Amino acid sequence: MALEHVAQGQTRFFTPGVAPDPRGILLGRYCLMTFPTLEGAVSWLRLYSAEASLDELMAHLTLTKAKTALGSREIVIQIPAVSSYAADRAARLARLVGGAIYTGTSKHFVKFRDDRSPYGYDAVDIGAMPASTDFMVHGDEFAQGYVREGELPFAKLLFRLSIRRIPGADQLAAEDRGELYLAVAHGLSEGIIRYLWRNRVEAQAGLFTPRSSSAFDEQRRGYMLIRARALPERILALFLGTPGIDVFKPAGANAAVAVGYEHPIDLASCSSVFPPDTFHVFWPNDRVDVLPGPLTLSDIGDLTRVDLELDKPRDPAQHGGGAAEPIGVELRLAAAMGPPKRVVATLIETKHADRLKRMLFALPPVSLKGHRVAVTDRGILVVGSENLDVIPLGQLMCELTPGLLVPLGMDIVPRVSPEVLARALGHQGGVVTVFTNDNHPFQIPESAFTTLERRALAKMPTDKAESIDYAAEPTAEAQVVNDAVGRFALWGFPDAPDRKLLPSGDK
Amino acid sequence: MARPHVSGFLDKFVRPLVAGGELHIGAPIPTPDVDRWESELPHASVELVAVDDARTSVLSTLVVRPPALVLERDDLALAAGLHNALFLVHPRAERWSVSDRQRRRIIDNALSLVSQPLTRSRTRVMARHALLHNLFHLKRNDIVVSWWTGRARFQGQKPSARLTAWPSVRRVREDITVVDFDELLAVPDTAPIVATLLRRTPLTQLLDSHPGAPPLHWEDAVFLLRDAELARAIAYRLVPDVQPREQVVGPARLAAAFEQMLERAPEEADVRAVTAFLVHLSALYALGEIHLREINAKSPLISTVLAAEAAGQRPRGLTTLFALPGALATVDPRLATPPGIESIPALAARWRIHRAQTAELLSDAVIDALAQRLRRHLKGERRDPSEVVALPTRETESRT
Repeated sequence: MALEHVAQGQTRFFTPGVAPDPRGILLGRYCLMTFPTLEGAVSWLRLYSAEASLDELMAHLTLTKAKTALGSREIVIQIPAVSSYAADRAARLARLVGGAIYTGTSKHFVKFRDDRSPYGYDAVDIGAMPASTDFMVHGDEFAQGYVREGELPFAKLLFRLSIRRIPGADQLAAEDRGELYLAVAHGLSEGIIRYLWRNRVEAQAGLFTPRSSSAFDEQRRGYMLIRARALPERILALFLGTPGIDVFKPAGANAAVAVGYEHPIDLASCSSVFPPDTFHVFWPNDRVDVLPGPLTLSDIGDLTRVDLELDKPRDPAQHGGGAAEPIGVELRLAAAMGPPKRVVATLIETKHADRLKRMLFALPPVSLKGHRVAVTDRGILVVGSENLDVIPLGQLMCELTPGLLVPLGMDIVPRVSPEVLARALGHQGGVVTVFTNDNHPFQIPESAFTTLERRALAKMPTDKAESIDYAAEPTAEAQVVNDAVGRFALWGFPDAPDRKLLPSGDK
Repeated sequence: MARPHVSGFLDKFVRPLVAGGELHIGAPIPTPDVDRWESELPHASVELVAVDDARTSVLSTLVVRPPALVLERDDLALAAGLHNALFLVHPRAERWSVSDRQRRRIIDNALSLVSQPLTRSRTRVMARHALLHNLFHLKRNDIVVSWWTGRARFQGQKPSARLTAWPSVRRVREDITVVDFDELLAVPDTAPIVATLLRRTPLTQLLDSHPGAPPLHWEDAVFLLRDAELARAIAYRLVPDVQPREQVVGPARLAAAFEQMLERAPEEADVRAVTAFLVHLSALYALGEIHLREINAKSPLISTVLAAEAAGQRPRGLTTLFALPGALATVDPRLATPPGIESIPALAARWRIHRAQTAELLSDAVIDALAQRLRRHLKGERRDPSEVVALPTRETESRT
């Protein structure tokens, strides 16, 4: 018996059903691992499930009891060779627990690669296999034929394994307490629900009776299963110490293991073993309950006790509705704390209107570009886009929010957001709201504003300031209309007087 | 025939002339009627007050406090003269039956009416402007009515209802042509009347104009520049906040009149007043640009109006207007820069940019030629104002 080292780039092999993978490593469709005992096989499954997901191997995972020609028995695990990386992990773990690993496709399996031959091995003298042999493995110094004695289903193995108590595992971290299951005996369920509800623990509950596959099984009593989220540590400690309450930690979607215990094989990595319509509860002492899944639970808020006093019926009392009593806070102006804002307007008292008019007539139109004016009985409001300093009159105003003007250096207290303030004042688009120092704000529609020019204040008398509408009407077009003058209009029209008699000189 | 009363003339002609509306042109008004109307004025107080209110409204955009105005005989005569001038373009005056002699008689009459004394009184100048401010904007609707068998033209008259009846059946069509100052008051018969009239109202000539109007005679109008409020109103009306090409039309017209003034023999003080005023207008252009984002950017206004490619479209006087500060810098530097311009740094910066840009776009020959013409008039060495108002020194005190 001899094995040859596979060379880099080698494509032709003596071993049937093997081929190099993209890395050049010889690989068949399956990997075969032989263990002298069942414990070795379980140890391999345990290690592998802790490192990677068994679900990806589950489709072609088989556990077989096999017998050699000399009568020794071994446990053989066959897994699909998903990739050489998965095979590498399987080989490492198999060697760790005293097993050997081979690769092949149907009957001949050759030793998987190791440190001495990184690309694997090829069996050069594969002879005819005895008819009684089911498959043969080729090692360094031997070729061993095996006969299958029986299958060991993985699911059966899984449920036969006992969960083991882990010291200190009942001290769960906050993330581990995110979702826990409580199996509560019937007599305690009402109290537990009330307790959880009172402590504002989000939880759902359902009543379950474990399935029984045989009429001779011990008839188990049903219990209430409660799914609690973010269970506080003190409540968890209380439940763990209370007889009749068992706490379970979910392991995958369809299984839960008692808190403080652990299944030898990571159940989350082999969740495909559990049928989707079941929920497996792994109790201590080898008890596994199969509940109908997925779990249908109800919120415990709806399960709290209801007290009814039917002998004292009470009709719903009728109360007249009404608007909520307003809570008013008086708005007032106060010195602003922040940096000074840009001046956008000035409110000129009516008594200073003639000064404004004189100033307006003294300023060139180009300086007044972008200025608008509105005349009210509260004063003349001049709003400018920029350069408002050309009018050094009145109370300078800055803008809190578009259209809401307050005196410069002042702010409105209580300091609420501009939106709330605008809502409280009834301020809206198309309206300018002006806060004055006397705390009597007023509003002017945007339509009241006109361009600030001579025409805007032309009719304003300079000695009085009571009128409101000062805008001059646009001058109508002068149009010549020729009247009928009759046939004799020019009869008797005199000569012009002697032009020498015209007055001369300046008047 | 009943003699027309002044109230009718005030209501149908004078008030619409001031406030706008339909100016009714009737038979020409002889001078004796105007004399008679003067005596009738106290009996037409309603119409008189309406006219005066309208005139005050016109002046309200010019001065802060318009003066109290009362329509007098010379205003009445100016209005009557204008009425007679407008009668000359009345269809009745263009009939074959109106002889040249009759037209001549009307023209002479109108000329004698508008030949009122020139005035330098502030109130009277403003009153005349308020009366005649619409002169350049008079319009007339001429309607040509055409129907299936003929057509008729109505100049400022309403077509008779019988001509416009059944418009769809008779296929009546009315074409309206708007006739303005050119065809109303710039025709050979009316032009001398209007020229005489406009000399009586220099404020109107400064504030407004029409391409067909006679040019401004600066000597008649320069006294207005010595009234600060009126001068300011004129300057601001001439430099409105509009497009660059429209912004220079008014100042260019005055600069063209200034060119004509330099060809005559004006008083040096008048030339100085007009040059200072035109330089002030240039400063207003700079003032309008002090809020440009880039303070050292070239002036878009000067780039537009003095562009070399648009040299043929420059209005008359525009070159003089912009060359004037540069020319004055060599003739009399005190006139070349408006007083107080340095107190606003942004304005001073824009002013320097304007001058540099103008010198770049106008050749040195243009500026030198203007300087030569100015030197002929600005001979006298004016005393520095600081000397005039200087406090007496110790020596002069001891002498006294």
